[in-house]
Amino acid sequence: MTNQESTRMKINIGPQHPSTHGVLRLVLELDGEIIKSCEPIIGYLHRGMEKMAENRTYLQYLPTVDRIDYLGGFFNAYAFCDAVESLAQIEVSERTQYIRVLTMEMNRLSSHLLWLGTFMLDMGATSPLFYTFRDREEILSLFEELTGQRMMYNYYTFGGLRHDVTNVWLEKITDFIKKMPRKIQDYENIITDNPIFVTRTENIGIISKHAALQYSITGPNLRASGIEVDYRKQNPYLVYNELDFDIPSAENGDSFDRYTLRIAEMYECLKIISQCVAWLIENPGEVVSSVKQPLLKVPEGEFISNVEAPRGVCSCYVKSDGTGTPYRAKWRTGSYYAVQILPKLLENSFYPDLMAIFGSLDVILPEVDR
Amino acid sequence: MKALRYIIALIVGHFTVFKHIFKRPVTLEYPEKRNELNEKFRGEHALTSDENGKLKCTACGTCQRVCPSFATIKIEKEKGEDGKFYPKNYSIDMNKCIFCGNCVQYCPFDAIIMTKNYELADEKKSSLTLDINTLKKNYSDTIINKTKDNRWR
Amino acid sequence: MDYLYSLYIEFLNKFNLPFHLGDFIAMVSFPLLPFCIVAAALIVIVIFLVLMERKVLAFFTQRKGPNRVGPWGLFQTISDAIKLLCKENITPTGAEKFMFNLAPLLAFVPVMVVWGLIPFSSEFDFMSYSVSALLFVTIASIPILGILLAGYASNNKYSLIGSVRAVAQAISYELPLIFVLLSVVVLSSSLNLKQIVLAQISAYPICGWFIFPAFLGFLIVFICSIAELNRCPFDLPEAESELVSGYNTEYSGMKFAFFFLAEYAMMFIMCAFIATLFLGGFLSPFGFYLSEKLISNEFWSNVFVYFEQVFWIFLKTFFLIYCMMLVRATLPRLKTHQLTGFAWKVLLPLSFLNLLIVCLIKGVA
Repeated sequence: MTNQESTRMKINIGPQHPSTHGVLRLVLELDGEIIKSCEPIIGYLHRGMEKMAENRTYLQYLPTVDRIDYLGGFFNAYAFCDAVESLAQIEVSERTQYIRVLTMEMNRLSSHLLWLGTFMLDMGATSPLFYTFRDREEILSLFEELTGQRMMYNYYTFGGLRHDVTNVWLEKITDFIKKMPRKIQDYENIITDNPIFVTRTENIGIISKHAALQYSITGPNLRASGIEVDYRKQNPYLVYNELDFDIPSAENGDSFDRYTLRIAEMYECLKIISQCVAWLIENPGEVVSSVKQPLLKVPEGEFISNVEAPRGVCSCYVKSDGTGTPYRAKWRTGSYYAVQILPKLLENSFYPDLMAIFGSLDVILPEVDR
Repeated sequence: MKALRYIIALIVGHFTVFKHIFKRPVTLEYPEKRNELNEKFRGEHALTSDENGKLKCTACGTCQRVCPSFATIKIEKEKGEDGKFYPKNYSIDMNKCIFCGNCVQYCPFDAIIMTKNYELADEKKSSLTLDINTLKKNYSDTIINKTKDNRWR
Repeated sequence: MDYLYSLYIEFLNKFNLPFHLGDFIAMVSFPLLPFCIVAAALIVIVIFLVLMERKVLAFFTQRKGPNRVGPWGLFQTISDAIKLLCKENITPTGAEKFMFNLAPLLAFVPVMVVWGLIPFSSEFDFMSYSVSALLFVTIASIPILGILLAGYASNNKYSLIGSVRAVAQAISYELPLIFVLLSVVVLSSSLNLKQIVLAQISAYPICGWFIFPAFLGFLIVFICSIAELNRCPFDLPEAESELVSGYNTEYSGMKFAFFFLAEYAMMFIMCAFIATLFLGGFLSPFGFYLSEKLISNEFWSNVFVYFEQVFWIFLKTFFLIYCMMLVRATLPRLKTHQLTGFAWKVLLPLSFLNLLIVCLIKGVA
């Protein structure tokens, strides 16, 4: 026994590392090239997001919510807004709902683009990173035109939005989504049938259906294992039940399937965006909320709101005690469970597979640590 | 024939990367060229004044109450000659500001705006606390130049 | 070469030095001037290559490369080299000092030696032996020993893993290279590199080049030389996202610069070797030399032909380097057992097939 253990090497892939997507520490035990055990240590990016809610009013807490998952700021803002609106019985107009869907789907597209670039960089190909960032740059400048900032938007308010979208902006979106399918096709040309990529990701990191349900995995990771669960179809919120889109799914649950699934999701995002833009151009309306935000007092109660974020299901639980500050806010994010399943996937796999598996799970650390 | 499919995919992939040399580079040569920003951009703050040069701010404290980071805005009130309040000292601590724009959105008198200046780095820490004179000056710069330009050229 | 040498001896003997000192000086100093020019040329080419790689990779991704240090970024490598010179040379405690300092030299010096073996023109053929090609492959394997020493001598388990992987990769990819070299020798009946080039002369301009009978061999040698150089897609030994930096983790300052420059110099030399073997070396693709047609004066046109041959071999080498950079920009990295599996199970049988095809063609034609 001791002889066996003395051949094992303990390696620390430390919090500062050029490729763990955030500050995550992995303590690996290697036996030659095979990983025997892995222990992820999180908490390096804990900012007390949930505690911050207890000292601030609802309006003061709203801008900080964008920062829980900075790549999907709109999703977190919507989850919190939805919880508060349901508790306080605030009505939201239909135009607001369409604009919310539009911005959230564009955010999903930009998040998947960044995931693709960094996943390829971990694999060793340096060009796709620059191509996806070039496309993401266009989305971010569109958002800057709309809200004033590229990432921390602070655009939703309780009951509506800060200001309306203009038709000029909607025309720019139409131009943008005309060129996107060609670019996604470019990425597929470089990556999908590439034999090196296929041998590196096929049958690697298989999440079985049973394991996915046991570990509460949600989002694209779950759909890649063959379980077709998507909050936008199961419990439609906003106006998703009026829009026409499909939910892609795959069979095996390996890294290659997760990749093809996210590419398919990007195409679906484009479909939803074009439908929303068509509706918005035809139907003007009111979006600015009539609620006096600084003086908002929410009646007692508790509510959980769910939203399908790019990394899983993001839930926000808000409990209020009748005053202007929440009593408790709890966030449940999708990447936390992906980090939890990582040791199981890495058992008895080769060391170079670490990046193939970890990159394909699309983990982002601010979501894990909050 | 899987091998044939892979070889064709490799050639197509190389060609896809190759054709990008004929496209224009998207590099923006900062600091000689800068991005164009629009009116809604959330940069450095400025206190507005009306036609006579008097500040519109009445020191009501709403901006303090909606700011997510608590100690950012500090106001000292004083009663003026015509009975209305005005701020004797108004300071914004840029170390704590998260540029959310709540103060601009919820000010009842449109007394505070955010300019397009985002190059706020400096060598002295004291320049990161904007007091009332700097804020007034930001606004007059904005009116005169139409945009507040960078500090160094 | 001999013609110039005899001219030089005639010139020195005009001074009537005693004790045949003229002959002695000629023998010692004759290789010296070309050697200095050639060594300087290698350093300048490497400096240019480092910048070229960054610029070319940038243009593949719609960016501009370095363009601030000098016009078009020409002085970027010089400023990088100055920066590396000014850094402290740290030797980790517990490292074997002698081997730690020897490893960069072992990686760089054979590259300089091998640079002279390549025929740049029919006269600028400095080290011409009857077994040049074999000598080339032999000396080009010495830098691998340098990598092994580098990994072992730094007292670091990551470097050791990286260097062991690099050595396994280099050994596996040498064999297909040698078998393809054998097929080229079959086509040209000589191991001397200049004779191999001259055997590619034919009646029609490009048809004599060995890429046509041995196309499979050309691809195999291209892939093997990318693997020998530890470049992407075979750069697992220096993969940044997996093992910090592989075998040169512990090196800083000028020693790191040696490894770095040795890789780029070797890249140029391997591409020049491939151009010599398959693309006709210094032969012009038009069949005739432009300076013969354009310059009327007989003496000067003869001299300029030699420089034009240098131009042609450089053009072909840079074309191959461009292709290597395109491959680097596109492909992801291969895993360890994929690397060695690919070499032994795919490339080696294909090189045998190539040898068979070449022998058949040589027998028929």
